[in-house]
Amino acid sequence: MSAPLIDVSRLQKRFDKTVAVNSISFTVEAGEIFGFLGPNGAGKTTTIKMLTGLLRPTSGRALLGGFDVVRRPEAAKRLFGYVPDEPNLYPKLTAVEFLNFVGDIYGLDLSRKRSRIAELLDLFELRANDGELLEAYSHGMKQKVALCAALLHEPRIYFLDEPTVGLDPKSARLLKDILRAVTRAGCAVMMSTHIMEIAQSLCDRVAIINRGSIAAMGTVQELRDLQGDATLEDVFLHVTGGKADAAVDSRLTNFVAGRR
Amino acid sequence: MKQLSVVSFPRRRGLALQSILLTVDLLRIRALAVRREWSSSTIHVAALTAGATLFCLIYLGTYLGVHALWQAGAIGLLSTVPPWALLIYLLTDVVIAFGQALGDLYASRDIPLLMTMPIRVPALITSKFVLGVVQNELYAAVFLLPFVLGYLSALEAPWIAYPVMMIGVAVFPAILYAALVVVTILALRVVPARLAKESLWLIGAVVPTAFWITMFYRIAHITGDVTVMSLPTPPGWLPSTWLGWALAAFGGASPGGVGAGVGWTGLLLFETFAVCPPALWLVSYAFARGWSDSFATGAAKSVDSLSAISPRRSGLRALVHKDLLTFVRTPQLWFNHIGALMFVVYLLVGHAVQTPIFPLTIQLAMVQIGFVAILGSITPGMTALSLEHAGIWFLRSAPLASRDVLNAKLLVPFAQTGTIAAIGGALLSAGYGFPIGWRIIVVAFGILMAACSVSFGVAFDTRFPSFAWENPNAINRGPRMVIPFLNGLAMLIICCGFLFLTRDEWPGVTGLVAGIAISVVFTALMVWQTLVRASRNLQDLEV
Repeated sequence: MSAPLIDVSRLQKRFDKTVAVNSISFTVEAGEIFGFLGPNGAGKTTTIKMLTGLLRPTSGRALLGGFDVVRRPEAAKRLFGYVPDEPNLYPKLTAVEFLNFVGDIYGLDLSRKRSRIAELLDLFELRANDGELLEAYSHGMKQKVALCAALLHEPRIYFLDEPTVGLDPKSARLLKDILRAVTRAGCAVMMSTHIMEIAQSLCDRVAIINRGSIAAMGTVQELRDLQGDATLEDVFLHVTGGKADAAVDSRLTNFVAGRR
Repeated sequence: MKQLSVVSFPRRRGLALQSILLTVDLLRIRALAVRREWSSSTIHVAALTAGATLFCLIYLGTYLGVHALWQAGAIGLLSTVPPWALLIYLLTDVVIAFGQALGDLYASRDIPLLMTMPIRVPALITSKFVLGVVQNELYAAVFLLPFVLGYLSALEAPWIAYPVMMIGVAVFPAILYAALVVVTILALRVVPARLAKESLWLIGAVVPTAFWITMFYRIAHITGDVTVMSLPTPPGWLPSTWLGWALAAFGGASPGGVGAGVGWTGLLLFETFAVCPPALWLVSYAFARGWSDSFATGAAKSVDSLSAISPRRSGLRALVHKDLLTFVRTPQLWFNHIGALMFVVYLLVGHAVQTPIFPLTIQLAMVQIGFVAILGSITPGMTALSLEHAGIWFLRSAPLASRDVLNAKLLVPFAQTGTIAAIGGALLSAGYGFPIGWRIIVVAFGILMAACSVSFGVAFDTRFPSFAWENPNAINRGPRMVIPFLNGLAMLIICCGFLFLTRDEWPGVTGLVAGIAISVVFTALMVWQTLVRASRNLQDLEV
């Protein structure tokens, strides 16, 4: 069996006294879609930011394709494409100029850049607006451009932080198809999401992170079996302690009644 | 259909009360944001020290200059300098306030939220107006107040002059901002906000530049003995002229004395209170109608956009190209250079007035162009990394060496500032009638100081970047502007010391060469140190 494309070992991140990510370990193999679930502020984005070089881990190790993200950042960064939780792009560039810039950074030659950019813009139906400055794009259109940028250099690893937020249903479906296709081609995908339906239908394995630690990890079926074939949402609520109980129901009822 | 009860919402308040409450809230939020942006106490101390230093420098410079003019018996100049100094402030404010008015209203991030709240538009406009004025009051306190105090104390003005002039200085930004907000908002009724964001900045630059050149052209042609010399009268309808006349009257440099001073300040007060309410009403009216139109977007351009795809570039070249595109498409970033070149024009026209008091030498010209270079480096250096905006995630997650990022972030600002310093140096030395060798020295010294100042700016920006700005001119506000600027100024003062010491020690070419050599070595050492720090900052950057 080949080495995992993502190999995370005892990774930790502290912000002063706050432990945002607490010694987590996991691997993602080639051909696998790994879902990263957790409530807001659980440490999903911090973990992805450490793996993509935006934050320096306080301790632990993260290998991408065998390269340490701290010691060999350039080699590790060549291997992945990244879509952040907020698609903030350079406002004074057009979509084509931005993708051309991305192509240069990843060392694509002219013919490959030209064909890939045209292909991706067509795929995400951005050709009609590709001459406009990105500052005029809607959130969803920027998200599509960020996805094009991540796909442009055909990386081996994909880090996607809430990739479907802002996408219309057609584009969300397209993204799912693309992710299935790239994993069939031997790539690894790690994505965070709050949408259980996406995690359930798309991910081969799922980790649920809560307060910086991995609370559960396995295939979707393995996690569902933890609660006697419950839905993934039930498992998520159980593991993260967010299950709506009678007390919450009562408080909600009172809150709504008090407003009438 | 029956209307829903709104008892759960706060009771409707009067317009005045709503305006006051909203203003207090927004001011408190702004103050909190400023305090939290600079979480380090060291920076707070450094910023306060830097602001105080700047204040003291302007005060001292004005005091010494006015005192020198008084001793030289230059009454004509003393009576006409204040209106001109205030006119310079007014013109600078025009450049800033156009963008600020746009940024405070149409381009402000909180406006969409506030517009959905049960707040009346006039209350919203009034609050935003007060916020804009408060921002300008800070500039007036740092730049204008020390000038006024320096002038009054050098001429031993009576005590009554101080409180009256302080009221005048406090009111002055309000009338300027009111007029500019009206012009901006009315312009936005014609030009869509999306386009105006760029075009208004251009108008904001062109109008004062043209006015500035026309006015200073007249000064450039004054000649004669310093004791009888006086500057031409600036336009009498401008509030800056009234405040300038008040200052001159309080100082005893123009007839009328205290009475005239109080009269001119009173006129300014009356005008402000007469102009502001109708201006705010007009702005509210135009804004309420123009807000929804501002979301209109133009038709997509039918261009072969794929032609923008270029042959493969290295990471460094790609970064430089991207930053140059951003610079060309962001007129806000040009004003720093326009301001620096304006200062060259100011030096050239002031040449006739200044030379009898400060004899012109090549060393003085070098210091002058050094200051122009530092002035021109304020925005490019200090915003080099921050211009990445929220897109910084891409730069940090891309396979780019920190060295390439640093080189790009130095090259683009230096290309801008170095060019301006070179053009300014060539213009200045040609205007002074220097021989060719001296011209080369002046240009080279300008470029040297530009390199020094840019490297300071980049080091500061990599340590304290700001990626959450609303427009590029908002990046270098407050400590971000003052600290690196004073750093550059300190370097210039040290080099100035070398130049003048060696000139006195070894008169002639030997002293000049020695001064330049020591300055070059010292500056190179400082630049090297700064770049090492900037490189470390970039490696440690977390986003």
